[in-house]
Amino acid sequence: MKKTNMLAALGLALMGATSVQAQENLEVWHYYAAGSELAGMNALIDAANTAVDDATFTGVVIPGNVVELRRQLQTAFLGGRPPAAYQSSMAYELKTFSDGGQLHALTDAWAAIDGDAIFPEGVQRVVKVDGVPYGVPFDLSLINNVFYNKEAFEKAGVTVPTDWASFTAACDALREAGYQPLGNAGGTFWSLYNFYAALVSVVGEDGYYKIARGELGFDGPEFSEALDLYRDSMVSCYAQNWSGKTWTQTADDLINGNTGMFMMGIWAAGYMDTAGFKAGEGFDMFQAPGTVGKSIFQMDVLAVPEGPSVAAADEFIEAITTPDAQAAFATLKGSLAPNVTVDPSVYGYAGATFARQFSEASANNAVLPNLFFLLPTDLGTEFGVQIERFAIDPSDTVKAELISTLEGLRQEALAENAFIAW
Amino acid sequence: MAPSQRRLSRTDWTHIAFLALPTLLFAVFYIYPVISSIHLSLHDWNGFAPNMKFVGLQNYVVLFHQPRFLHAALNNIVWVGFMLIVPTGLGLLLAAILDRGIRGEQVFRIIFFLPFTIPAVAVGAIWRWMYEPDNGLVTTALRLVGLGGLSQNWLGDPNVVNLSLMGSVAWWTTGFAFLVFFAGLRNIPTECVEAARIEGATPWQVFWKVSFPLLWPSTIIVLGMSAIDAMRLFDVVWAMTKGGPAYSSEVLAVQMYDLAFGRFDMGRAAAVAVYLFIIAGVIIMPYIIYMSRRVQDSEAE
Repeated sequence: MKKTNMLAALGLALMGATSVQAQENLEVWHYYAAGSELAGMNALIDAANTAVDDATFTGVVIPGNVVELRRQLQTAFLGGRPPAAYQSSMAYELKTFSDGGQLHALTDAWAAIDGDAIFPEGVQRVVKVDGVPYGVPFDLSLINNVFYNKEAFEKAGVTVPTDWASFTAACDALREAGYQPLGNAGGTFWSLYNFYAALVSVVGEDGYYKIARGELGFDGPEFSEALDLYRDSMVSCYAQNWSGKTWTQTADDLINGNTGMFMMGIWAAGYMDTAGFKAGEGFDMFQAPGTVGKSIFQMDVLAVPEGPSVAAADEFIEAITTPDAQAAFATLKGSLAPNVTVDPSVYGYAGATFARQFSEASANNAVLPNLFFLLPTDLGTEFGVQIERFAIDPSDTVKAELISTLEGLRQEALAENAFIAW
Repeated sequence: MAPSQRRLSRTDWTHIAFLALPTLLFAVFYIYPVISSIHLSLHDWNGFAPNMKFVGLQNYVVLFHQPRFLHAALNNIVWVGFMLIVPTGLGLLLAAILDRGIRGEQVFRIIFFLPFTIPAVAVGAIWRWMYEPDNGLVTTALRLVGLGGLSQNWLGDPNVVNLSLMGSVAWWTTGFAFLVFFAGLRNIPTECVEAARIEGATPWQVFWKVSFPLLWPSTIIVLGMSAIDAMRLFDVVWAMTKGGPAYSSEVLAVQMYDLAFGRFDMGRAAAVAVYLFIIAGVIIMPYIIYMSRRVQDSEAE
């Protein structure tokens, strides 16, 4: 009998130890699997582990991108074992998960960090759903900069373009000098990010948000004009075979001096810097025509699923939004810290330029989140696919099909009341 | 006692015991998911909401009228044709060459089979690099031999991308067909081949009239597996193009994944899965039945 009791006690102790271990070791899921991205994420989690005493956070890499992470999350939600926190896209992604009752409202953590003060207004509006914060930003990248090879510009006698006319003139001069004028890459996002410059040129910031809210039709004259501007000013400049390249391959083309310009998110600056092609020396950057004084940005946040770990996760959220933690991530990854209290002196040449741009845009109230994530998910994704198709074949036929497809989806979304007034 | 009421013998119970676990596994991991997918395909659900909305056959009807879906289905059918002909034919050719006892046979065996041991995602990464349109290995090699004019925008041109993907899949899967055919050739009784040679048959006649007919079991395995691989094709396409550019290389499994996790449309994704199940059944099952009969017939002969 004594033996049985002892075995039972031992079993209980083991179960208890396992339970305590599970509570203490909390997982943070993300898809930053290598290089500067992983280094930044590890630094962020290390900062949280230093600040939080009663829990240990461990980063778990889900290989792939946001799509693979969603798949893994869904399985975890079905199994009732979600992570303590996870990397999420902004805006509509957060709405989908919060509508599904899966997300923990970060109201208390937001108040503790004074989120309304440390994050710009344009950032705040894409982490809140109906005024409730469901994510905190940690990784912000501008997507309206054009990088250029300084030597190519000098050899072609090109000065930094300031408007669409000088931009197309720069393309012509680069082409005559033997360069591919403007790099681009295949995929759902990259042509779309380029198109935003033309779109904002035509519809302005108000029109941009009207599209996000479903108030401006894709079959209207403004959108058609934006497509024409994109076709005449950017698609006509694109390098040969651009659609068969990844963005890193095109960045290599800029580094190697094959391509004169490349419009890409600011992570490209980090990539080129790592390759020994330094900002301010080998390459420089300018805001795309139509977006001068504005910032269009892509941002990742950390969200907290409902579950037993929300108290510790709240502490994690507070820890990763401090200026030190945000700076640690941004400087390693090569992005911007969304927290405006981060000292700009932490950045190098490129980062300081982007920080200045973002600060000016914030002051002008001209901070525009990536439209892809403001639209209902199906419409945003189709938007990217259709713009890439148009960039490959900018014929009137494809333009008409693009407009018809997107307008059809907009009408469906309107009928389902799916748009959000961001 | 009527036969239907007879008590089960000890042997019967033994059989049932052996069959119980496989039956249970089949029901849980095959029958239930199929039924669950059909049920899901009749609903509108984003994968996270607590409730699903019943929409009847709407997902099937919408898909059937979408050019995107029809294009992906057609791509799958083209892939079936390709997989049945190219990797299979190349594998048979390589096996026939090596079966003639050339020097370095063991080294060639390893070389031919090695690509098949590489994971699909790694194959995608390798070929993504090789297909870089300006400076990739394929374009560079063509330039070196004076065929630079044949180089293409391998993965970026909607008219070329499927052929490019097929090239990489042929490189990857030919090793499997080779191995099965090679093993089959080595198992053919030598007296049959010797008899044909004594009768004055040429090497070509020996192969087509003697060896190849005796390779039926191997052929069935290779063709069956190739057809199934073509219908469930996903990983290489996803790793290399994600179905792009603009859906041009999309197959049904890729579309299903994109709808489910890229667009939060689990119901429609499930409908794609059911369509894929039906198409695969229609295309592959008659072949398997036909081939099985051929094997039985040839064994009887």
